[in-house]
Amino acid sequence: MFFPRAMTEVELIVPAKDLVAVTKALGSRGNFQQIDSTYLGLENLGPSSWQDTSASYSALERRVQVLAQNLNLSEEYSGSPKADSDADLNTLQAGVEHIEANVKDTVDQMSSEKKRLEQLESQLQQLQPIADLNYEIGALRKSKYLYSITGVIQADNLDRLLNNAGLSRVPYTIFKLRDDPKKPLVWLLGPRSHSDVIERAARSAFLAPLVLPDELNGTPSETVKEITVAIDASKKKISELERAIAKLADTHKKQLHELWRDVHANRVMADAIARFGQLRHTYIVVGWVPASDVDSLIQQLKKVSKEILVEVRLAGPTEHNSNAPVELQNPGFLGWFELLVKTFARPRYEELDPTFLIAVTFPLLYGAMYGDVGHGLVLAAFGWLLKSKVVPALRSMASLGGILIASGLSGTIFGFLFGSVFGFEEVLPHVIRPSESILQILGLAIGVGMLLLNVGILLNLYNAVRARDWGRFFFDSNGLAGWILYLSFSVIFVQAVGNLILKITIFPSYVMAIAAVVMAITTLIAVVFSHPLQHWMEEHHFVIEGGAVMFGVQAFFEVFEKFISMFSNTVSYVRVGAFAIVHAGFTGAVFVIAKLVGGGHEAGFGYWAVVVFGNIFVIMLEGFIVFIQTMRLHYYEFFTKFFQGGGSTYEPLVLSTAQEK
Amino acid sequence: MAGGVSGYAAISSRVRAMYADLLSPQDIVRLSDAPDFSSLFTSLKGTSYGPYLDGLKDKDINPRKTVVQIKSRVAKSYYSVVQMSPVETRPLVKQLYRYFELGNLKAVLRSIVAVQRSSEISSWDRVRDVLFPLGAETVIPAQAMVESGNITAAVELLNGTPYEEPLAFAMKRYSTEQNLFPIEVALDLSYWRRLWAEAKKLTGADREHGVKIIGSLVDMNNLMWAVRYKVYHKLSEEEVINYTLPFGYHVLDSDIRAIAAGADIASTISRLYPGISDVSTLLEDPRTGLPKLEVMLKRALLKRCLAAFVGSPFHIGIPLAFLVTSDLEAQDLTVLVEAKSTNLSEDEYRPFLLKPSLLN
Repeated sequence: MFFPRAMTEVELIVPAKDLVAVTKALGSRGNFQQIDSTYLGLENLGPSSWQDTSASYSALERRVQVLAQNLNLSEEYSGSPKADSDADLNTLQAGVEHIEANVKDTVDQMSSEKKRLEQLESQLQQLQPIADLNYEIGALRKSKYLYSITGVIQADNLDRLLNNAGLSRVPYTIFKLRDDPKKPLVWLLGPRSHSDVIERAARSAFLAPLVLPDELNGTPSETVKEITVAIDASKKKISELERAIAKLADTHKKQLHELWRDVHANRVMADAIARFGQLRHTYIVVGWVPASDVDSLIQQLKKVSKEILVEVRLAGPTEHNSNAPVELQNPGFLGWFELLVKTFARPRYEELDPTFLIAVTFPLLYGAMYGDVGHGLVLAAFGWLLKSKVVPALRSMASLGGILIASGLSGTIFGFLFGSVFGFEEVLPHVIRPSESILQILGLAIGVGMLLLNVGILLNLYNAVRARDWGRFFFDSNGLAGWILYLSFSVIFVQAVGNLILKITIFPSYVMAIAAVVMAITTLIAVVFSHPLQHWMEEHHFVIEGGAVMFGVQAFFEVFEKFISMFSNTVSYVRVGAFAIVHAGFTGAVFVIAKLVGGGHEAGFGYWAVVVFGNIFVIMLEGFIVFIQTMRLHYYEFFTKFFQGGGSTYEPLVLSTAQEK
Repeated sequence: MAGGVSGYAAISSRVRAMYADLLSPQDIVRLSDAPDFSSLFTSLKGTSYGPYLDGLKDKDINPRKTVVQIKSRVAKSYYSVVQMSPVETRPLVKQLYRYFELGNLKAVLRSIVAVQRSSEISSWDRVRDVLFPLGAETVIPAQAMVESGNITAAVELLNGTPYEEPLAFAMKRYSTEQNLFPIEVALDLSYWRRLWAEAKKLTGADREHGVKIIGSLVDMNNLMWAVRYKVYHKLSEEEVINYTLPFGYHVLDSDIRAIAAGADIASTISRLYPGISDVSTLLEDPRTGLPKLEVMLKRALLKRCLAAFVGSPFHIGIPLAFLVTSDLEAQDLTVLVEAKSTNLSEDEYRPFLLKPSLLN
């Protein structure tokens, strides 16, 4: 829950004789993510023959796909390959060839008949615009002085051709014979003496000349009649062939799907084996397996191969293992919030998965900004509607449902604290009312923000300890020195707020003096010399990159930026209080407008209509804005303190499409 | 999700965060100080590209795989932006992403022709490493195309994709000319027309800023095509016009037509891009000059993208500018990786870097 699922790096030494059985066992469990280990093999063995095997299975799978398409069979098939299936390439190939042989004649006939029909229809379509011409079109081709091209062109290219300045050098004309929005038929005509220019312009505009039958010697209307008769005959033949194909599909459906399943599984296995390291008589297989599944996997592997050697290494949470795949494991309602984390980044293997944190802080901040019993319940109900996928149009937003439920319920709890239900503030008792306690609310919001920022920095420290990254722990701007810097900054900030706004002195002067000295020292450690010190921690020597002057300039701006960001990060949380006040203000405005519409009375249709629609408006608008503000506070202010992200996805080897799903 | 302030609050935060992770011009200069590829790789691991390079095993640490990993970061940025952008702008971002798919498609087709010419056995492994890592976000069956071994069969595999229509016309020319040029031109024209059409479908601030960024990209490409066709390929006026686009942001159709008709290219470019001078010298030797001119135009594009970050953040212009900037940064790193792995001197590769020009 707090960390990605623990992974174990498994290294197997597999005897060549057990290779297929072991690969099948790995693939059938669906929890082994392979690492390309070809580099561990002997190079002098040459390229793995399994690459060719994989290519052969891949080609065979395509043949099966083509067969299925030809027989109008769906591409879906279910089930995993049989555990004891020893179908080799030759057997599977023979099976595919058998079906191909049975259907070949019919499919070939269908294919050639369809091509013929297409050609006939194309000729007919080409002739339609000139069907009423009463002279021999073949004569145009024999013209002595005119050069002409009749053809189809893409509409976009026609515009370019019509306005082609280059073509206007010669006398020419273009007739649009058929106005088609995508592929109009045109006739380009000019003097034969300039045939080169006309031909170049037509070619570069991708004008595809008509391919009319050579035997077209009569008038177009006569030819159209002949082609129409031929089209009817062709369509009849196609219908007969379709019936024959449907019969063939029924006969071969089961066998074809079984072949497909086995070919696919073998292709996946061959792909996997091609990426094993090949030694003379053994293979090295490396990959990741969830730590909890390792024992059962080893047991199964020992069953299929007595001589297999297994070495396992639990990937600890160090940066060294950052390439381990990341599978998040957040049970129940925590899973709802994975979306928010993944939208920012997938956690790295060694770092804390912040989902459990955001599951608390997101609804908390959201609710504080959206504090109203009624509005919160409506939002929660909307979240439930999304999550239940009852409304088809909202199914694509189902993943947001859980987040909205939690946020809505949190808004309800804050609504009780604020004593507000659909904007009515007299119905419920209240603990604090944002519109009446503005300074307290804003101060509280900043206080919560400072707490969260401290939590963020502490989590960064924890991540650094977990990763044994001591440079980051001590000297990162959000490390130990950075934390002390932020604490000393907080003291000065609180004092400044006290002096300027509340007109009170909070800390005695000696505390301020200590804070100033600590701040100066930690600025040097966590900002100015942060990188050289981290480098020193890792490499054991102190290096200042780019020379002293450049370093000085860079340090100046980094200090400037650090103080600006500490200030802005802290002040940024004031928006939580501000939105709580705005929410109350918005609903207050609704009641003012309602009273105006009701003629000064808090009753009547006008009054209640404005109250209802005003509330709907506030629920929608504020619901959306608050969501974005909460996300912003987490992504900008909170996550940047400790969360790096960039982990890789866990994609185990699976043999069947059912497992893939 | 609605557009405007509400639609952009989340994506704006995310893009700003990702933008902050991009390398600064100083970072690029620092990386260029690495004495060799190995040092460059180590330095790169210390940047925000580190997590992407960590996945490479020692044996795989070579320039080609490094570049693929660098590009995978650009791919991830696109993925994030596509997921978070408002629904009405998503087709535009997706179409912009297809630029890399277009590049992959051309690479696949070129590899097929190269194999046919040298009568080698086609090798998917060889092609795979030069493709942009689009993962599942592609409609091109690249491996099947490479393994098909010939252009006609490969193109047939694209039926049902957005490439089918432009290729249907281009293949007629390919069958007679046996040259990839018409295919590539048709694919380019189709891609940019779709992209422009998507940009024009937007409304309000999205349209204004989207057209500015996309139009600037179109300008650069269209201008380079016109110049290259005229100066390098020496095509006729009618061909240059047919092979270019009639729209853009700053570069107008009349400018392209003027170049096609033989107007002075240097003065046209200097007028359109006042920051770019001495174009005549570059055009004297097109083989070396045109790539330099392209770099200058890319630098102008980079500046325009950076300028997009100033002002209202609630429009698609900022995510688009970020994506283009990310790609340009990846191009800088590719130059560095290739330069360091082939031991080029600074004088040879420095003129091709984009971001360091911002320091001048």
